[in-house]
Amino acid sequence: MKNKVKALILTGDGINCENETALAFSEHGCETKIMHVQDLIDQPGLLSQYQILALPGGFSFGDEIGSGQILALKLKYSLGVALTEFINNKKLIIGICNGFQVLVRLGLLPKPFTERQMTLTHNRQGHFINKWVNLTVPKSNCIWTKSLQGKEIALPIRHGEGKITFAGDQATQHNTFSALVSQGQIALSYTEDVNGSYQQIAGVTDPTGCILGLMPHPEAATSNWLLPDGTAKKTGQAFGQQFFINAIKHCEERF
Amino acid sequence: MKTTYRFEIYPNQHQSTDMSSTEKKTTEWISKYCNLKFDKLFKVNYFLLESNEPIAGIDDFAKTILTDSVTDVLFSSESKNMDLVSYLGQRGFTEPVLCDVSFKPGVTDNSAQAVLEAFKLIPDLKKYELNVASGECYYLQSTESLTDEAFEKVSYEKLANQLLHKVTIQRKAAIAANIRMQAPKIIEVVSTSHEATTIDLNLDNSTLLKLNTDNCWALSLDEIHFVRDYFKTLDRNPTDVEMEVIAQSWSEHCKHKIFASTIEYTEGELPAHMKKLGDFEVNSLFKTFIRGATEKIKADRNLQWLISIFHDNAGIVRFDKNVDVCIKVETHNSPSALDPYGGALTGILGVNRDILGCGQGAKPIANTNVFCLAEDSFFKENNIKLHPKLKNPDRIAEGVHLGVQDGGNKSGVPTVNGAFVFDKDYVGKPLVFCGTIGVLPQAENNLSTAEKRQQPGDYIVMSGGKIGKDGIHGATFSSMELNENAPASVVQIGDPITQKRLGDFLIEARQKNLFSSVTDNGAGGLSSSVGEMAGLTNGAIVDLDRAPTKYPGLSPFELMVSESQERMTFSVPKEKVHQFLQLSEKRNVLSTVIGEFTNQGQLLVRYNGKTVADLNLHFLHESLRPMQLKAHIDQASVEQAKATHWLNGKVKEEVKPTEAKAQLLSLMASANVRSHEHLVRRYDHEVKAATLVKPFTGSEKIGRHAPTDAGVIWLYPHGGERDNAISVSCGIAPQISHHDAYEMAVWALDEAVRNSVCVGADPTEMVLIDNYCWPDPITSGKNPDGAHKLAQLVRTSKAIYDLSVDYGMPFVSGKDSMKNDFMADDVKISVQPTLLVTAMGRVRSLNHITTSEAKNVGDLVYLIGPNQLIDFKKQLGLYKTLHKAILLGFVNSAHDVSEGGLAVSLTEKIMSTTLGLEIDTKLDLFVESAGRIIVTIDPIKQKEFAQLFTSDCILLGTVTGDAKLTIKNQFSVNNTETLAAYRIKAAGAI
Repeated sequence: MKNKVKALILTGDGINCENETALAFSEHGCETKIMHVQDLIDQPGLLSQYQILALPGGFSFGDEIGSGQILALKLKYSLGVALTEFINNKKLIIGICNGFQVLVRLGLLPKPFTERQMTLTHNRQGHFINKWVNLTVPKSNCIWTKSLQGKEIALPIRHGEGKITFAGDQATQHNTFSALVSQGQIALSYTEDVNGSYQQIAGVTDPTGCILGLMPHPEAATSNWLLPDGTAKKTGQAFGQQFFINAIKHCEERF
Repeated sequence: MKTTYRFEIYPNQHQSTDMSSTEKKTTEWISKYCNLKFDKLFKVNYFLLESNEPIAGIDDFAKTILTDSVTDVLFSSESKNMDLVSYLGQRGFTEPVLCDVSFKPGVTDNSAQAVLEAFKLIPDLKKYELNVASGECYYLQSTESLTDEAFEKVSYEKLANQLLHKVTIQRKAAIAANIRMQAPKIIEVVSTSHEATTIDLNLDNSTLLKLNTDNCWALSLDEIHFVRDYFKTLDRNPTDVEMEVIAQSWSEHCKHKIFASTIEYTEGELPAHMKKLGDFEVNSLFKTFIRGATEKIKADRNLQWLISIFHDNAGIVRFDKNVDVCIKVETHNSPSALDPYGGALTGILGVNRDILGCGQGAKPIANTNVFCLAEDSFFKENNIKLHPKLKNPDRIAEGVHLGVQDGGNKSGVPTVNGAFVFDKDYVGKPLVFCGTIGVLPQAENNLSTAEKRQQPGDYIVMSGGKIGKDGIHGATFSSMELNENAPASVVQIGDPITQKRLGDFLIEARQKNLFSSVTDNGAGGLSSSVGEMAGLTNGAIVDLDRAPTKYPGLSPFELMVSESQERMTFSVPKEKVHQFLQLSEKRNVLSTVIGEFTNQGQLLVRYNGKTVADLNLHFLHESLRPMQLKAHIDQASVEQAKATHWLNGKVKEEVKPTEAKAQLLSLMASANVRSHEHLVRRYDHEVKAATLVKPFTGSEKIGRHAPTDAGVIWLYPHGGERDNAISVSCGIAPQISHHDAYEMAVWALDEAVRNSVCVGADPTEMVLIDNYCWPDPITSGKNPDGAHKLAQLVRTSKAIYDLSVDYGMPFVSGKDSMKNDFMADDVKISVQPTLLVTAMGRVRSLNHITTSEAKNVGDLVYLIGPNQLIDFKKQLGLYKTLHKAILLGFVNSAHDVSEGGLAVSLTEKIMSTTLGLEIDTKLDLFVESAGRIIVTIDPIKQKEFAQLFTSDCILLGTVTGDAKLTIKNQFSVNNTETLAAYRIKAAGAI
């Protein structure tokens, strides 16, 4: 029998969504471990035992200075080597909401080990928003969205700093965006402008499709019962689970 | 050499130079409330970094940590690398004025703490001793020429709080000269401690009362005499530490003396509508009517699922095979009046700690929030000028809203249910109710998790934040009316990240069986937490000098009673203390052994080896005699209450539309009906991915804008059974307190229950939580109508006894807050007697979940419930029958009838869908009452459904597809119109 796929879910320092993120994996046959950031820092070698790394949502370090900023610094200074190896082995990483912000500030998205061109900043409304939004899933390299590409899906958003912004003047920003589109790195887009994000981008993948960062919460849309109104609970579809199924399937085939 | 740097963070040249939406809103606010026009407002954050030595290349480190390279630039005091005046010029400033907002020394500064941690992450900086402070620069520009004082005034009005912040005004020349960059400095707390002193109580009464006020003891003269006499028997005077511990322990806040008192209740002739209760004496309202109700229900129904009630921080109930559920609701009124943001934030974090400190430590899984507030527009419309000591009620509303947002969101606990209640009388004291539900495994390491197990010899360990002067006298302060001399030190600011770490650590330590007991440090600080825990082993020794402090200069009594936030007190067996401290350090949680539990019967407190308090625990906890109080109500006292209302004769009569459609639209837009979605959607209501019924519902096409009746939380993600959930709902009706407090309580309790029944909870598995917020009910010179208010308290308590017993729903937890009055000069503003009831019910299967919105064209609309709720037992029968109908799958939607009456409820069922209702009824459309629910059912099931009910079930009409409410022979109104009225404040803001 094949070994089970193993996912490591980070917690601590204000991460909030570790439980439901772990559950989203374990419900589909994945072995999961919720580990405190400090425990991984103490033993970075543990990371290599896993095929999937998840950075869940939350308010790491209270979102002070900028969301994800301090956790990104912490990971960079203490786990940089282990993370690089993990990425070079084409293992899968997902950063959801605050986890996405961490991946961006770590410089892993949109392209690892290059100069940062993108950030996530305050919603145009200037405050936190919790609501369900509709999203399109474009054709992309992204392993996590494979079975959803071409579909329109619904997921909840719960963030105050989800506006994707690119570096440089308008022309540079446009070039960065065009390059992401042509390289199949736009993983998810809002169907309408929910937070001021550049071209309504909701999720970005790296050029290999292994790393996904997204603001909506797929782990909170894993059962029809979690859908937002009475009718949807009966007749809707919980698309969130597909992200986790896709990743587990990929790892089963590859590792 | 000590060096301090100042770093300001500005948007870089690629970012928009327009005002942000938040900045725009701030100028609109200032224009509305301060009548000052600012055409420009620009906010940036700054940090001061203090180091024991100069740091080479500091700007690069600061850039890495403080800025986002994509959007920001750093302006540093080290390199002075910006021409700020021309930078501001690009944003349209010609005459900028800087309002620099910094924290007063000693105030909790969460940003600074986080930034300090970030600097310490950098390997090159590890050798330095660093300190950080944060602040905000507001650049303002007005078309009028304003004085510095005017800028300062407007800053304190909106940008800062005088209790917490210092504002410095700088003009263009000073900005250009970078004055603030020249010698930045972090202001230290300067405070001198004094040794414990003894206090001679052998004084005349007026001197004793002065001592009482000066020290914020909030004791009565009788109590002071009692203390004096007790210490006479010991042949010594009490120390200041002892007096403080006694005052905290005996405060109304901690001891609930009014609820424990003996009350003689008498009725004169009552107005016809009021239920006659007769004259009686009651020995403790709590024991008789609250615990009494629970004990009776428990015995009558032979309930096995009440695991732990009334003696812990929260009530524990068994509604699942795997986990137990606990619930607590608290109020945080006085702190919220002083600093609405900090008050509400610490309210949330505080009740979360009650859950963390319940049993062996439960995990918070959901929050509820109910705000009772006033509206500025009411006073404006009536040309009523508020006392200058009162905060603008809209500012209070904004502050508490933000506090809840930060408190809940940052802790990762969803806000699943709540209410906004508006009434002019809350202008003196806002009421902020914060509730939390938690889960804990039924057993862990083969031991029950509901019990405390500390033993003599266990260490006392304090974990979490350090002690400062914040929150000194919180417990006694909340037991007094708000007056002009309220000490600034009572204000606390919460630190969600410290608490989150503490909570995570606590659960991990519990799983590893590293402690024997835990409780939270809430009101009264160590004095309360250690005092309470010491009661269980019958003794404790505390060495106060071991407790970590935020800054030097705290006196022993301050260490003992400070309410510095984010602290829990553990009892740790000696053999486990090493492991406990090791894990704590690893999780970045500060834990310190500060003493030991004993069984000697004394609370012994030492400071630097010297005994500063040696109190007998029996004296402290058991000796206080109950107060003897008199309650009286009659026609005259009811009329007197109306005649002496502070706004009597000052309020214009409200002109209500007479035509039904206009009346409905006006009701939809009224304060207590209209949507607060623009605020509620800023609270995370589904983190933890277990919120099955969320605050809003409706169809996807229209947007989900309609209110739901209760939150439903799935227990499976929290370790419970897969097909099991709990509901949480609330009921409150202060608007009818002046009419009758008995009926008010019936409405509140029934509304909470009704709401839970609507979503599918089983009425035979439901528990209640009571929260009283009362005006001072003790008669005194400045409170002549105490007996009337106390009678209202008795009537309310009797009502919830009667109703809960008939419903068979036990109280599992509760709280009272008794001095909700504002007093200054000759103005006295008291809140209306307010009872909040929270209901938590079991939803036995996810298939039972029923939401409020109509679902299908052709469904039939029924009204369940009597016109007036009089027969409580019959009402329970109705709820059980409705629940049966839900179980049978007949019910497609259910929504309660409350504020605004029938028409509002019908509207809410369709306004956020594409459906309509055709209603044929002669019932009054607008009368408000308790006990009614509107349901829609499948027409095929009509016969079976109707057969279930023997009475109080009326067919009202059908669900149509035309997106409008039609009341036959009366009027018809489109959903677009009603929804627009309902969302009058909420539209466009999300």
